[in-house]
Amino acid sequence: MHGFAAWLQGTPASNAIKTVSWLVPLLQSLHILTIGVVFVSSLMVALRVLGLMRTDESFEAVWSRFAPWIWWGLGLMAATGLILVVAEPVREFSTLSFWMKMLLVASGVTSTALYGRSLRVAARLAPVQFSVGAKTASVLIIVLWLAVIFLGRAIAYDREVWGSLSLRT
Amino acid sequence: MDLPSLIETIQACAPAVWMRTSVKAMPIVEAIHVLAGATVFGTILIVDLRLLGFPDARRSVTRVCQEMLRLTWGAFFVSLTAGLLMFAANAHTYYGNTAFRLKMLALLGAGVNMAIFHGTTFRSVRAWDRSVPVPLAGRLAGATSILLWVSVIFLARWIGFTKGYDFKIPANTHIDFQF
Repeated sequence: MHGFAAWLQGTPASNAIKTVSWLVPLLQSLHILTIGVVFVSSLMVALRVLGLMRTDESFEAVWSRFAPWIWWGLGLMAATGLILVVAEPVREFSTLSFWMKMLLVASGVTSTALYGRSLRVAARLAPVQFSVGAKTASVLIIVLWLAVIFLGRAIAYDREVWGSLSLRT
Repeated sequence: MDLPSLIETIQACAPAVWMRTSVKAMPIVEAIHVLAGATVFGTILIVDLRLLGFPDARRSVTRVCQEMLRLTWGAFFVSLTAGLLMFAANAHTYYGNTAFRLKMLALLGAGVNMAIFHGTTFRSVRAWDRSVPVPLAGRLAGATSILLWVSVIFLARWIGFTKGYDFKIPANTHIDFQF
């Protein structure tokens, strides 16, 4: 993996991204803006399931309002994230935080897709109250996205955060 | 007390010392700052988009504001606290950083924009609360808000790339590199 990262770091594509001075900050800023959109959109859906927000709307209406922003946002973050990784592969791949973040992102995407599908069915069958399971899933998905956000920042501080567990040692 | 000594005092206070000396403090505080800041942006975007008539005018503006703005304010105070800790840790560096100063201006602009909107256009909200297009002033306030908050985030990222580096070499300084 380190060999691949080192090779990628030396490619023309990687050098091109790194040498345009404003590109990495621009991509990181877009990444952060999209975090706001995806996290808050997921939070809106979760708060609806918990009966704390938008209770004047059906779950289907809330899902239709925010799901496109979640999916498009995740797509944009995948694109900006991929370019950022191509720019500095050694920096990302040599951290525990990055790999944990990728694992949790995959879990988050899968969970959101399954959760959305099953809750839309549940909402049609019993539109008034969601089950304890559904509410727990809502909280867990938000916690998962919070962990992803923390891990994203931890990439730059991998040794300080993980100590001897960091892949950087 | 003048400004430079105020900056020194802030940088020497106990929370600032803790931020500098604790290994885990800075990454955690910074992550909280980014998370809360992103939440401010995400929640305010929902309000601003409603002012711009997106997705439609069905949901009442007052209801959207009432639901979202408490989240926005909560996230803002968390972000502000984390930001103050980060500032205190390296007050001198941030104070002199152009991107930081511009970010503070953008934040001030966002606050002024919001205050003007709530003090003027919003007073007549009952006339355009739902099913009716928001007045031009309201739409402008929404668009301005989005632009300013996007700027805040871009400038914030720019601080990370310029802090500690944008200093002016005093005149008549002779730099002699011996290799």
